[in-house]
Amino acid sequence: MLSEIFVEPFVDMVSAPDFLMQVLWEGLVSGILYALIALGFVLIYRSSRIFNFAQGIMVVFAALTLVGLHEAGVPAWISVVLTLGVMFALAFTVERVVLRPLVGQPDIILFMATIGITLFLIGFGEIIFGGENKVMITEQLGIPTDSVVFEPFGGLLILEQKDITAAAIAALLVVGLLLFLNKTRMGRAIRALGDDHQAAMSVGISLQTIWVLVWFIAGIIALVTGIAWGARAGVSFALEVIAYKALPVLMLGGLESISGAIVGGLMIGMLEKLFEIYWGQPLLGGNTETWFAFMLALVVLLFRPQGLFGERIIERV
Amino acid sequence: MFYRTAGQFKTSYTADQALFPVRQDAVLLIVILAFAWIVFPLTASEFAFQTLLIPILIYSLAALGLNILTGYAGQLSLGTGAFMGVGAYACYKMVTLMPWMNPIVAILLSGVFSAGIGVVFGIPSLRIKGFYLAIATLAAQFFLVWLFEKWAWLYNYNASGAIQVPNLDMFGVYVSGPQATSFTQYYVVLAIVSLLTWICINLTRGRPGRTWKATRDMDIAAELIGIDLMRSKLTAFAVSSYIVGVAGALFVFMWRGAAEPNLFDIPLSFRILFIAIIGGLGSVLGNYLGAILIVGLPVVLGILPEALGLEITSATVEHLNVMIVGGLIIFFLIIEPHGLAQLWRLIREKLIIWPFPH
Amino acid sequence: MKMTAKLLAAAVVAAVAGSAASAESIYAPNLSYRTGPFAATGIPLMNGQKDYINMLNARDGGIGGVTVDFDECETGYSTEKGVECYEKTKGKAIVTQPWSTGITLQVLPKTNVDEIPILAPGYGFSPMADGKVFQWAFNTPASYWDAASMILQYIDGKDGLEGKKIAFLHLDHPFGKEPLPFLEKKAAEQGFELVPIPVGLKEMQNQSAQWLQIRRERPDYVVMWGWGAMNAGAITEAVKTKFPMENFIGVWWSGHDADLAIVGEDGKGYKSISWSFPQLDAPVMADIKKHVVDAGNSESNEEEMQGVFYGRGVVISMILAEGIKAAQDHFGTGAIDAAQLRWGLENLDVTEERLAELGMTGMVPPFKTSCSDHTGHSGGWMLEWDGAKFVKVSDLLTPESEAIGALEVEKAKEYADANAPWPMNEDCN
Repeated sequence: MLSEIFVEPFVDMVSAPDFLMQVLWEGLVSGILYALIALGFVLIYRSSRIFNFAQGIMVVFAALTLVGLHEAGVPAWISVVLTLGVMFALAFTVERVVLRPLVGQPDIILFMATIGITLFLIGFGEIIFGGENKVMITEQLGIPTDSVVFEPFGGLLILEQKDITAAAIAALLVVGLLLFLNKTRMGRAIRALGDDHQAAMSVGISLQTIWVLVWFIAGIIALVTGIAWGARAGVSFALEVIAYKALPVLMLGGLESISGAIVGGLMIGMLEKLFEIYWGQPLLGGNTETWFAFMLALVVLLFRPQGLFGERIIERV
Repeated sequence: MFYRTAGQFKTSYTADQALFPVRQDAVLLIVILAFAWIVFPLTASEFAFQTLLIPILIYSLAALGLNILTGYAGQLSLGTGAFMGVGAYACYKMVTLMPWMNPIVAILLSGVFSAGIGVVFGIPSLRIKGFYLAIATLAAQFFLVWLFEKWAWLYNYNASGAIQVPNLDMFGVYVSGPQATSFTQYYVVLAIVSLLTWICINLTRGRPGRTWKATRDMDIAAELIGIDLMRSKLTAFAVSSYIVGVAGALFVFMWRGAAEPNLFDIPLSFRILFIAIIGGLGSVLGNYLGAILIVGLPVVLGILPEALGLEITSATVEHLNVMIVGGLIIFFLIIEPHGLAQLWRLIREKLIIWPFPH
Repeated sequence: MKMTAKLLAAAVVAAVAGSAASAESIYAPNLSYRTGPFAATGIPLMNGQKDYINMLNARDGGIGGVTVDFDECETGYSTEKGVECYEKTKGKAIVTQPWSTGITLQVLPKTNVDEIPILAPGYGFSPMADGKVFQWAFNTPASYWDAASMILQYIDGKDGLEGKKIAFLHLDHPFGKEPLPFLEKKAAEQGFELVPIPVGLKEMQNQSAQWLQIRRERPDYVVMWGWGAMNAGAITEAVKTKFPMENFIGVWWSGHDADLAIVGEDGKGYKSISWSFPQLDAPVMADIKKHVVDAGNSESNEEEMQGVFYGRGVVISMILAEGIKAAQDHFGTGAIDAAQLRWGLENLDVTEERLAELGMTGMVPPFKTSCSDHTGHSGGWMLEWDGAKFVKVSDLLTPESEAIGALEVEKAKEYADANAPWPMNEDCN
């Protein structure tokens, strides 16, 4: 029994190294996608202390709008631009209708409000787009759909080009975001607002403008995530459930750190796949991906309550 | 005019701290109880029992459990559905392993298992707070649902993975299973819900309640004045999970009649959370008001198109329901973050002076 | 405030409950799903069902002169909603069509008490074939154990079962788990290794872990019991991981044109067992086009109508219609009730001649139900995707009645014992 848990899985891993590489690659790709969703959360939390539960549905909504516009006959890249417009309108409406009246309320109230937004968007989206699965317009966007095949150690390693593209775009996004937040004026304003609302407003930073901007950027991230995930798994409301996986990523990486979201995402993606293939399927009957990430994050939090990269929580009485 | 408190003087502290210091409140409660115990059961149709009366009571109980944890003790929990599942499966195992057991005893005992698991998953709350704790409770939610699916002993190795409620009888009357009537089941539910509500009212108005509220408001300060945080948080988890577990057992045994593991998934947790929020965190009455709204809304939405003569597919009605609940949450949070219970309090305050302006 | 809300609700409910059902039509609701992750596979079937009934109403004025009110109640494949829909419709309905094995299982004990027949063609609980125990449940014309038996026979016929490894990729839901007892029994008897691989409801579109497992296990065949988004997810992963399609066989609910069209030529060789087959030139299809599509009364489209699922929907409604007709002829009344429909469904005899009369030759094998056999065991054909559509690649396969029959009786008895007191049909032998 003990050898089954502590010895055999590692023997398994070493005996088929090409398979191990495939598992790690699949985990890495999932991890990048979780990290992308977490990025949206982090951005909004950083600037306004709001835990935006609706990030997941924003991913779905963006992807559905894109596909829906294309189905209606709009060419691919114009659909992208129009979808960005829709996300902007969404950001604007959310700020006006939900956030502005709730300024100053405790965090939990704002969190609940974002759950309300999620539900509203789910119902609204289902009425407009219908609930069936749709196919992401991968080729029309110019994303290559072939696979690259390697043969390490005499085995087989298949890398999908759309996954490689997704990884590249994610890397660009992260770098771009980090540069934006640290080197530009707007970025500084966002960080200032996150530190202290009152102080930021008193030096002339406009709360409303920054919030609309931040939700819009989160919307852009949501669209990129939607395209990447949709290309992999098809576009439907089931994607929203995948967004739950971003939560352990946030727990691991801390709610305020962008690099934490990336590292957390990659870790969770890879560890989850490794656990499922080498321990979950042989010993536990499989399907452990539903809860492993959460348990892992829980254990980490027990030792480090602010996550691996989060700011130390200082409480004052 | 109705709520005139003039003439109702209190001459002792006990009288002043009574549950219903204003006599009209007590009268209102008696009227409501009379309706619940006598009028509704005798006049309601099968449809009303199954879609309104029984679910409202069960959801109120579950929300009451969640409210104790989140509203009174301040520990945000998103795992309510899974704890309901623990109660339901525990009850199922008890009645199938020990068929001689009285079903009501089985239901009340099933809460104990749920309480135990609740305490285990509540231990992280000693280190983790706020949103992080909410996500930790999601770990419980996902893990337990997975366990319900995988641990075949729980559903007696049934090929479909679902549990069916057997026909159980008490003193010759069937209380569960397809042979039981809604009438009997309604009374069982009403009795248990009333009992547990009475217990909760006493708990929340007494010392445990005050301890929880102190923990919620400012836990470090509470610790400084001598409240044992571990005891406070873990008892909150225990009591809350007990109530939620009993609610889960009632949910399956007295209403649904059967259950699959994914019945206890996230959507159920969120539904209970909405009832607790819209009703009002930190109140007992709020749970009932919230449940009436959340349970009644789809029913009304389902009947409305036919009544108005509009042709809307049931799918669209479903989506509209989801949209409206989402909108309602935002609406209530904006106009009254403390929920329907607070609205009721405000109305009462106004009624006391009505029709005078002040 | 609380009181008024309760009174108002009670008043509204009373008003609705008071309205009586029309006496000149038969109410046959369909617990359908047009939204959610299973909508893609549900919609063509439900469209086929609806169009056939609407065609009968338009062309013949209904069945036996009585119009059929074919209402739909949206369940989204959720067992909870399904049970709610059942409770809502059971007052006036003469039949319930749950469209989900999960819903069927939960409604099964209730229908025995409420006395409404369940019509679950090709799904549900395989032991429902035993009409003595399950007098109110019908899974005509074939059950999941029939499917498993036919698939295994096909594999055996091709290269033998002994020593093979068969991966059973299934939806982690009552539907996917239903054939497991039968498959495990056959694995022990015929010496092949069965590797069950469940796919959770939340993972239907992200099956990379399951297909990595398949790659590791290297099975000779993958048998799939998929539905909804799981089919498309599995087929795309199979193409991605370069699994040989000719060794990939799905049950009848996993043989949907739209799912295979996503991969097109890459999916060539994929097979699915089926008890229905689309016959685009059949007279019934022409009638549907004339009376329903051209009248603008159909929610379907040309492409969908050529697929396997639409044709199957038509066959399913035919089974219901034949049951209604049999009951009308036997009891001599037009507006039959639930108990009479039960008799009708129990005494179906759909022969080749009858199929020709209906204009449905070749769309379904002939079948016959009886009190002890509620399934009919019609058998089916193995279909294969040729890159553009499904074609028949086998003659009529029939399930092994003895082995299946014995298991059905055994499991039915177990079920009845577990749910005692269970009213049985004592007139059956």
